[in-house]
Amino acid sequence: MHWVWILGLVLLGSASGAEVCYENLGCFSDDIPWAGTVERPIAQLPWSPEKIGARFLLYTRQNPNNHQEISTNKDILLASNYQGNRKTRYIIHGYIDKGDENWLIDMCKLMLQVEDINCICVDWKKGGRTLYTQSANNIRVVGAQIAYMIQLFMENYKQRPDAFHVIGHSLGAHCAGEVGRRIPNLGRITGLDPAEPYFQGCPALVRLDPGDAKFVDVIHTDSLPIIPYVGMGMSQAVGHLDFYPNGGEHMPGCDKNIISQIVDIDGIWEGTRDFVACNHLRSYKYYSDSILNPEGFTGYPCSDGGVFESGRCFPCGDGACPFMGHHADKFRRPSGAEKMKFYLNTGNAKPFGRYRYKVVVTITGDRALVLTGAMSVAIYGTDGNTRQYQVHKGILRPGNTYEVYVDTENDVGELTMMKFIWNNSVINPMFPKLGAKRIEVQRGKDRRAFSFCGSETVREEVLQSVPLCTVV
Amino acid sequence: MRCLLVIALCVLVAVLAAPPHEKGLIINLDNGELCAISMQCKSSCCHRSSGISLARCAPQAAENQECSKKTLYGTYYRCTCESGLKCKGDISIGGSITNTNFGICVDPNSKEASAN
Repeated sequence: MHWVWILGLVLLGSASGAEVCYENLGCFSDDIPWAGTVERPIAQLPWSPEKIGARFLLYTRQNPNNHQEISTNKDILLASNYQGNRKTRYIIHGYIDKGDENWLIDMCKLMLQVEDINCICVDWKKGGRTLYTQSANNIRVVGAQIAYMIQLFMENYKQRPDAFHVIGHSLGAHCAGEVGRRIPNLGRITGLDPAEPYFQGCPALVRLDPGDAKFVDVIHTDSLPIIPYVGMGMSQAVGHLDFYPNGGEHMPGCDKNIISQIVDIDGIWEGTRDFVACNHLRSYKYYSDSILNPEGFTGYPCSDGGVFESGRCFPCGDGACPFMGHHADKFRRPSGAEKMKFYLNTGNAKPFGRYRYKVVVTITGDRALVLTGAMSVAIYGTDGNTRQYQVHKGILRPGNTYEVYVDTENDVGELTMMKFIWNNSVINPMFPKLGAKRIEVQRGKDRRAFSFCGSETVREEVLQSVPLCTVV
Repeated sequence: MRCLLVIALCVLVAVLAAPPHEKGLIINLDNGELCAISMQCKSSCCHRSSGISLARCAPQAAENQECSKKTLYGTYYRCTCESGLKCKGDISIGGSITNTNFGICVDPNSKEASAN
């Protein structure tokens, strides 16, 4: 019976054993694991570099608004604004997208605001606007081209592999993985919602993997299965740090009705993109936002989203919380640790950054009354105050304690005061009064706890100021 | 033909049987969705940044933020205040006509406290 299997495998092997070779880039085969597996049933050879026509658009502080097109030609490189003493960051787009799309250029501009770097947008739109199976293979050639370019930089400018950071969205994330596979000790790879079909469950050779760079950080924003939920990103952890904002599956602001989604604040084009793949595209929006605001994207180590929502991963341990996005590399990772999972919540529109607090409210009032309604608190600090966040809705029983986690839009600094407000859902002619007797607030980022003591009770829709407790 | 009818019926049943969504198309709109009047929004503020821009639901103004007093127009250039707060500012006839009675959200209680 064995020989049947062997014959079958030989036949399969000979059926998909083609190979193409391109100058300077090496050869690309469609052998297992590149094709012929359950995850990658259809075999496609990658296109030639000429057919893909990848372009490299360089932005620096000398030319933040207009790109210089560079290539692997040494004369063109030397004539450009590229400087070898600076860090270099590549940004690679995904399927159907293009390299001169606004998000790549805006990301470069934002990074140039905070650091002096060479920012290179990689445009491979001709290779990406075809069948998915074909472009999933074309990224191998694009990755090889970038790796060849990095080698050229390392030779000509004496740059170390540490100085390179490759950011890739969707298919581009796996393209970055290919770059890392070819450049040992590459500094960093950021995978922005790496593509799921043809990569999830595949061997590390094919996809993005912690072995591809010294530091691999990944943001998952669309991790539901492609069938039947059309989730385009991976749920599998593939980096040293894996961030799952809002649980990684549904992003807030992505469930708007069709018209509101398409007629976007950032224009019809941006709205149409979001209509097609809102969750998937959020990954680069979070990354861009995190460049100027690292603290708003503090990630909490946790095993899954449900546990995070229940509050069991709150607050941060000592140095246990990295920043999602651009500043993730500031995190001091335990050596050897990989596939560490982090959870956080974001806003539903720009700016996306949020700051997490735990609020525990003990209420007081006339015990004889049964009150139904909602109560909210607002946090006041040295740097301003927040909106009102709902603590509880339903029956409000004096003497009870209610706990809630809030993600505020701004960091108020050192807390100085809380304000409590409640409302009655049914009209009550007795004019009942309710108040916060004690409010405990814990800040997520550094575990600082603040206690507030209230003495009065208030009528509905009246704000009660609750100052810091004087006697601890 | 009958087959098509059966399929159509199944779809209809599925649509009707689906649990009612919390978000709405016309009322109960989330922040960021297009609106015509504030009544449609969960936040009860339909906000537009200028006279010619589209209006979208937006969160109400927190304390110390800019706000509008309640108007009959239905849309606001600055949102109204969160509950318990007052939009402190001048009311003028011109402002009422052009929908620009702006102010700052203040807590009426804490003002008394600081005055005493």
